[in-house]
Amino acid sequence: MIEVKNLTKQYGTFTAIDHISFEAKPGEILGILGPNGAGKTTTMRILTGYMPPTSGQATIAGYDVVQDSFKARQHVGYMPERVPLYPDMTVQEYVAFWARLRGVSNVKKQVDAALERVQLKERRHSLVRNLSKGLKQRLGLAQALVHNPPVIILDEPTIGIDPKQVIEVRQSVRDLAHDHTVLFSTHILSEAEQVCDRVLIINQGRIVAQGKPEELRQQLHPMDDIYIHVSGAGKEKTERILKSIIGVDHIEARGAGYILYAKPGVDLRPHTLKTITQEGLNLLEMRPVAVTLEDIFLQIVEKEGEK
Amino acid sequence: MTGTLTIFRREMGQYFANPVSYFIAAAFLLVTGFFFIDDLTRSVTINAVNPAAVPEFLSFGMIFFAPVITMRMLAEEAREGTMELLLTAPVNDLAIVLGKFLSAWAYYSILLLITIAYQIIYIQNDSIQPDYGITVSAYIGIWLYGGACLAVGLAFSALTENQIVAGFLSMIFLLAMWLGDNIGNIAANIELANVIRQLTLQGHFSTSFAAGILRGEDVVYYVGIIGIALFIAIQLVESRRWR
Ligand SMILES: Nc1ncnc2c1ncn2[C@@H]1O[C@H](COP(=O)(O)OP(=O)(O)OP(=O)(O)O)[C@@H](O)[C@H]1O
Ligand SMILES: [Mg+2]
Repeated sequence: MIEVKNLTKQYGTFTAIDHISFEAKPGEILGILGPNGAGKTTTMRILTGYMPPTSGQATIAGYDVVQDSFKARQHVGYMPERVPLYPDMTVQEYVAFWARLRGVSNVKKQVDAALERVQLKERRHSLVRNLSKGLKQRLGLAQALVHNPPVIILDEPTIGIDPKQVIEVRQSVRDLAHDHTVLFSTHILSEAEQVCDRVLIINQGRIVAQGKPEELRQQLHPMDDIYIHVSGAGKEKTERILKSIIGVDHIEARGAGYILYAKPGVDLRPHTLKTITQEGLNLLEMRPVAVTLEDIFLQIVEKEGEK
Repeated sequence: MTGTLTIFRREMGQYFANPVSYFIAAAFLLVTGFFFIDDLTRSVTINAVNPAAVPEFLSFGMIFFAPVITMRMLAEEAREGTMELLLTAPVNDLAIVLGKFLSAWAYYSILLLITIAYQIIYIQNDSIQPDYGITVSAYIGIWLYGGACLAVGLAFSALTENQIVAGFLSMIFLLAMWLGDNIGNIAANIELANVIRQLTLQGHFSTSFAAGILRGEDVVYYVGIIGIALFIAIQLVESRRWR
């Protein structure tokens, strides 16, 4: 549905995105994850036909975004980072305007369906200016899907709204995936994890990792650090024992217990259990330290920064 | 075509929804009404009624009204970010600019039509009989003249995101085009004076349309200004894609 090959965009001499290639299949929710200035918006603006790339190719539903710009634009719905609104229109007029502009034939029906989908039907006669921020965000979503495009591109759709609304917007996005391909940008990793089938991590205009969220986690963070809480000995003795466990690199006090950092490639668990029983300590709690995408992300971005 | 029509319809809706357009209309009718009555009063004692009183005032007045009508049209879209969505919709930049221009011209036409109602006073009063031929020609002229001013205003609105700046710049520009006529009048060299007059807004109105003379070249001049200004506006809109 979306195919991107060696896409590059330079603003003057500054390279905002640098030979990006990726693909999104029908019905897939693809997340673009990256810190501020990574090039998320730039990528999306090229895909939506807002501006041409400096080099490289991109197609939407088989139409080249430069050569076949018109066709490509008909097949994409877009919600920019800052939802663009006409404050003096009503909700319904606003959505109908975008429907007409994109050549929808049955405007009334499509507008109804879109408003239904984002749960704005009761507010259809409200002025856009009077909507809360969360509702404005949903209105932006309605506008992006009113012409029922195969590809929907959402630039940070959950930014600046309250947690309840965030959950609702995320749910709406998930629902879209049944019959649309969704490209979704965010800098919140847990969000990408919840919403997306696949994630691209970009930094300084380059893709630094991609895959399913679970895959990324395994691939990038194979170390098995563990959290452990024991009793039966004083602080010093406990620390000495824990440090003596085979494979432990170093330890760190955390809450009531300690985190044991493993040397690369070592599974700490068997040794830990053995040592603790031998030393006569009581095991109160032991669990792997949850590795979040947050950690992975920071790790990647830091590595990139060092280069 | 659908794009132009959709944009046109939205803009017309805005005129009815937005209080600012009612203020503009009120000011427009108040000032034109004042000039009409002033002319009428003077006709009692000093001179005969001027059948082109309202259009002649507007040949100056539009320097201010046109920028006020058009300044927000593209500047606001850029500032609010709606331009980004417009440019990703399957419509070309021409359709966007044309839809905006036609709506501004339609709004102006409505105001102009209302001022025609002032003429009823003449018809009702047998003692005043202006030359209606001149009235008609002056109205056609000021309609085109106004269209040209609106197109210029729209081009400035495409230039910047700040509508006040857009309005201010187009006023200065239109004023220069208007004053050019006076410079033409005082220039010593007659040929130079003629060339200058040929380029100014007034030069194609005051001695032709306003005097009941319909000339092809004057129509071509205003239509030409509209064409050039819209072309520039389209280029400016398109340049957003490259920024
Ligand atoms: N019109 C422009 N002219 C010059 N530089 C630009 C322009 N637009 C973006 N940039 C630069 O290109 C880089 C990528 O910007 P982009 O907006 O694509 O990032 P982003 O990933 O969307 O960031 P954010 O999370 O802040 O939205 C940034 O360094 C930005 O400063
Ligand atoms: Mg961005």
